[in-house]
Amino acid sequence: MNQDAPPLPATMRPRPMGRAALPAAYGLALILGLASVLWALRGPLPGVGEVRAGPWAGSSLTGSPQADAHTRARVAAEGLLALGRSETMYYVARQDDRGRPLRSRCSYRVEGPAPAARWWSLTAYGADHYLFDAPQGRYSLNAQGLTLDAAGRFALATGGQASPGLPWLPTPGDQALVLTLRLYNPDASLQADPAALVPPAIQPIGDCP
Amino acid sequence: MSRPDRRRWSWRTHLALALLVLVLVHWAGIWVAPRLIMFMAMRRIEAAGATSNQAFHAPAVDARSRTIVMPSPDMLYSLCLLDLSRGPVRVRAQPRLDSYWSVAVYEANSDNLFVRNDRQLQGRGLDLWLSAPAHRALPVPDGVTPVSMPSARGIVLLRVLTAVPEAQRALLERERRSFQCQPADAPSSGP
Repeated sequence: MNQDAPPLPATMRPRPMGRAALPAAYGLALILGLASVLWALRGPLPGVGEVRAGPWAGSSLTGSPQADAHTRARVAAEGLLALGRSETMYYVARQDDRGRPLRSRCSYRVEGPAPAARWWSLTAYGADHYLFDAPQGRYSLNAQGLTLDAAGRFALATGGQASPGLPWLPTPGDQALVLTLRLYNPDASLQADPAALVPPAIQPIGDCP
Repeated sequence: MSRPDRRRWSWRTHLALALLVLVLVHWAGIWVAPRLIMFMAMRRIEAAGATSNQAFHAPAVDARSRTIVMPSPDMLYSLCLLDLSRGPVRVRAQPRLDSYWSVAVYEANSDNLFVRNDRQLQGRGLDLWLSAPAHRALPVPDGVTPVSMPSARGIVLLRVLTAVPEAQRALLERERRSFQCQPADAPSSGP
């Protein structure tokens, strides 16, 4: 260091922080820290092990003791008591094929090949992650209740009203819609590569402003 | 060595410390969250009528179900809230069903520690010996599957698939009651 260097001008020296600003700075850090926890629980960022298949997102670490802390916290917040992927795989959709947020008042056609699993189901949840107050208690459609076409594909419609010619999964009211695809005892190939799911398409039926 | 004078710390030092506080709060919150959510869920289950170390057969899931987020409407649930602080707990289940059922064990941080389903058991019943670290040395009876829990609290959950023909619904209800949970030193009533 050059001992002969002139001292910094007063305006350029690091200044002590005012006493009044200290509590505010640390309080802000505390608030931001808590806010970041809530933000992480809502899952806006992909976690370790997260997989995507079309509009569907899942995690290869759901329920696993090997899950990282963020995945564990997010699964607890949005799917407590989930099973590991050797038993059940979960795929969640909050957007349609074009990336638009799903709304319960809109109607959607969901179609695709029957997932490779012993048994599967598609359930509709509201913004609070609980079931809709659906007519006739029809909260899900599943492998047993859906008829596959000759190519082994299923098709159904969600929405406030039934769509002609399609099995109906009612989603009354107007709120965010969350679709969950559960695969019980998935095939080994899918367990090994959860992103290999052929994703059921989610397309709006008619206009939904 | 003299103590640093806080009044002389620069704003850069305080900024660095504030960022450290932010990071520590974040990681502490992420660690606590699943344990807190699990704890609160167990409290809600207790409020619904469950007692520790006893089987509880929850009503069928419907739009009023608010105990656990994203409940599956395709399953009937029976469960046991574990309290292993006084000793091991034994869980038995043997639903005689052709359709899917499974028993899963969750630890206090929400991890799915253990699971067996009907196909894996091939008609045999399930007999579990769940113990906390303090009671690990106790002998496990022959033929019983030991499950070592990292802590004294957790949940055992029986799932029974309800998507079966209407005529079989009563059978599901009867068979899921083969799920039993009791302290290991209690007299057995058999599955």
